Amino acid sequence: MSRKLLRNVGVPLLSLLVLGGLWQAIVVGFHIAPYIAPRPMQAIDAVTSNWSTLWPLALGTIRETVYGFLVGAALGVFFGVIMAKVPVLQRSVYPVLVLSQAVPIIALAPPLVLILGFGVTPKIVIVAWIVFFPVTVNVVDGLSHVDQDLVNLARVYGAPRWRTFLQIEVPATTTPLFSGLKIGATYAVTGAIIGEGASGSYGSSLALYQVHANSNLDAAAVYGTTMLMTAIGITWFLLVVATEVAVTPWQRRSVARQPLRRRGVASAGEGTSIGSTPLKGES
Amino acid sequence: MAATLLALRDVTKRFGEATALAPTNLEIAEGSFVAIVGPSGCGKSTLFNVIAGLLRPDAGEVRLEGELVTGATGHVGYMLQKDLLVPWRTVEDNITMAARLTRRVTNADRLEARRVATEYGLGEFLRHYPSALSGGMRQRVALMRTLVTHQPLLLLDEPFGALDAQTRLEMQQWLLRVWRDTGRTVLFITHDVDESLFLADRVLVMSPRPGRVVADFANPLSRPRTMETLTDPIFIELKSQVMRLLHGGQR
Amino acid sequence: MNRRRLGALALVATLAVSPLAVVSASSAASAATRTNVTFAYDFPGPDFELTPLVVAQDRGYFAAAGLNVKIAFPPNTSTTTRMLATGSADIGFITTTDMGVAINAGAPVLSVANYSMRNNWALFAKPGSSVTAKNLKTQLKGKRIFSYGDTWTEAMLPFVLRAAGLSASQVKIVTDPTGNDLTSLLQGRVDYSTSTTNYEIPGFVGSKTKGNLVTVLGTAVGAPDVPIWVYATAKSYASAHGATVKAFLSAVKKATIWAAKNPTAAAADFSKAYPKSGYTNAYNQLGWKLTIPYLTNSKGQYFTQTDAQWTTLAKALKSIKLISSVPSPSTYYTNKFLP
Repeated sequence: MSRKLLRNVGVPLLSLLVLGGLWQAIVVGFHIAPYIAPRPMQAIDAVTSNWSTLWPLALGTIRETVYGFLVGAALGVFFGVIMAKVPVLQRSVYPVLVLSQAVPIIALAPPLVLILGFGVTPKIVIVAWIVFFPVTVNVVDGLSHVDQDLVNLARVYGAPRWRTFLQIEVPATTTPLFSGLKIGATYAVTGAIIGEGASGSYGSSLALYQVHANSNLDAAAVYGTTMLMTAIGITWFLLVVATEVAVTPWQRRSVARQPLRRRGVASAGEGTSIGSTPLKGES
Repeated sequence: MAATLLALRDVTKRFGEATALAPTNLEIAEGSFVAIVGPSGCGKSTLFNVIAGLLRPDAGEVRLEGELVTGATGHVGYMLQKDLLVPWRTVEDNITMAARLTRRVTNADRLEARRVATEYGLGEFLRHYPSALSGGMRQRVALMRTLVTHQPLLLLDEPFGALDAQTRLEMQQWLLRVWRDTGRTVLFITHDVDESLFLADRVLVMSPRPGRVVADFANPLSRPRTMETLTDPIFIELKSQVMRLLHGGQR
Repeated sequence: MNRRRLGALALVATLAVSPLAVVSASSAASAATRTNVTFAYDFPGPDFELTPLVVAQDRGYFAAAGLNVKIAFPPNTSTTTRMLATGSADIGFITTTDMGVAINAGAPVLSVANYSMRNNWALFAKPGSSVTAKNLKTQLKGKRIFSYGDTWTEAMLPFVLRAAGLSASQVKIVTDPTGNDLTSLLQGRVDYSTSTTNYEIPGFVGSKTKGNLVTVLGTAVGAPDVPIWVYATAKSYASAHGATVKAFLSAVKKATIWAAKNPTAAAADFSKAYPKSGYTNAYNQLGWKLTIPYLTNSKGQYFTQTDAQWTTLAKALKSIKLISSVPSPSTYYTNKFLP
């Protein structure tokens, strides 16, 4: 157990330390001025010593990230399902969705502001815009690769289409769905930051704080803010991974945990017999 | 003489120009075990899919217990060489799959699943995911899932085709036991002549281009069948007849 | 495409020129014998405030001074100071607030001349607005004011609010570094925009909106009348290449005076040098004409800096906590390279 913990936490931590050391070595070794690039500890200090200012801004970014991600994921699943189910839509909608991703987000922001204002909405739209696409692509892919024999088996049983969809096609798409969600999760924070930087806001935001720090030659705050943004991104990604782990126990376990709802059921042996027809197999 | 469970009349199926199934007439008695042998492309699986309702025949009708079921699903048990267990469900939940796909799963469904699994030696694996099971165990679960649908007719399409010889033999004996216990009617596709003779009361031989039934053998070998059955002179004689039909280049 | 340059902390380069693109217009023949100078502008793309440099280039003032000047554009407005500090540019064009934060951050830069001598930063409202310097309190309360989030606007807004008798929480500051203040104003997204008159008015004229843009100059409501833009260099460059700096300023001064006397021809020079800048010649011409009055002080002098301008600015920056202390004015500037 502790060995596993060491491998899962210790090793990534060690590589972070090595990265920090390398950073320190470059800044010190090349005599890089503090207004060009700070040392790691200066960047961390720029975050901790301004925590009361940064935390509300970070909360704003987190809110945009989470809301945008949820909206994007829902849209992604919706588009994925309708395109996988209606071939005409796949042919007509898919190109439009691909086109939507070719639009530079920077170019998208100004019209969004004109329509949606300077509030949180345009940021959420930008995050959702970025997140939905990998989800859609993976859901379409997943749904179109569901084992047709399994779908046929459900048909032989007389299953209605919606039950086949919920019981067979949806769970069979879990893995590609989460691939899409994980890609989306890594993009979500980037989207929120781009949204904050490119669409303006009432008051400040994490991105604007960084822009200010940059124009004030406060490199420590620039790097520190970047670290904070990265931390938000990593945390969100890990939360999505944790969700995947929680909802796909069969990927890692060979035996299911005992679910609570089954506790009340009497043990086998007192139920009905399967031999409903009389025995007559023997000739 | 038992009543007729399944009756096919002039059932025909074409895929474009190719006739997958020439007009076929067939009656299967209730409680019997019928094997269908034939090379690939002889229309065995097409015949199965028509009976199961997955394919609608171009002509002819399918009757089950006298009722017309042509092109309709939901009236047979069905099992393939692929076990088609879903990896996200436990053994118990895989067994109750048919119920889950058509209605709410009840406590009675769960109890029955446990009972069947316990009776046929998988009681300890009820909460396992399929990935933890061997190929033979998975096929057993697949058959249990087919059994608890309570359909009188089971269509088994080469269910043991992917298993090794030893496991296959165990599974065959186990299938006979299940058949004896439950009294279901079994229609069993195989390309293995030994398997068809070991299991069935009646062996249908099919031939391709166009797919059709070319012979219908009654198999008088006594039950219960054991390893000795495989060396019985009647077994040898029947096998050579079937083999001649399959490989002798008749017609 | 009209946009103000003072504030825009543009996150991306404009279409006209790629980041750090180097443009040279000097003749190749004698270029080898001249001193190379890399000049860094403060915006990712060229606009009319570059007119004196273009005139100096095209009308031979640089060549006559023995200089071979290349004009470089930074990836964003906050990079020019760093380019100077690290030596990737020799002389640059920056705002006085850039100087303020650079000195505060310990960057070894030095302002060698004023570009403009006075403050033309202002508050703008749509035609028909009844806002004046007198009724700011009632007109501003609860209203949305656009800001690029730049240090200049941050330094100036408190003066306006103080004059209006309002606190920062009694107005809504909309911060949008990559937006367009004028578009936001005209479309009603904000109630007031903030910018300098030489950029805002040509943009307004170009938008063909009826009526007149309502302007309240910052200096009319308590903002200090200090220069906005300066020519700067690294301290080390100034000490090692004093003669080059002096030659550069001399050529630019002659070009500036010529451009102020011949605004139409000067603007045409700019339009010709940067046909893909995204601005029309009319915009460039009006912009340059509106810039000219601010290039000289009350005595008609160009370039000359004063202790007072830097002290006033430093105090303003300290009052909004952008810098930690007010240093001696000589830390910021020198007049010794003036022609």
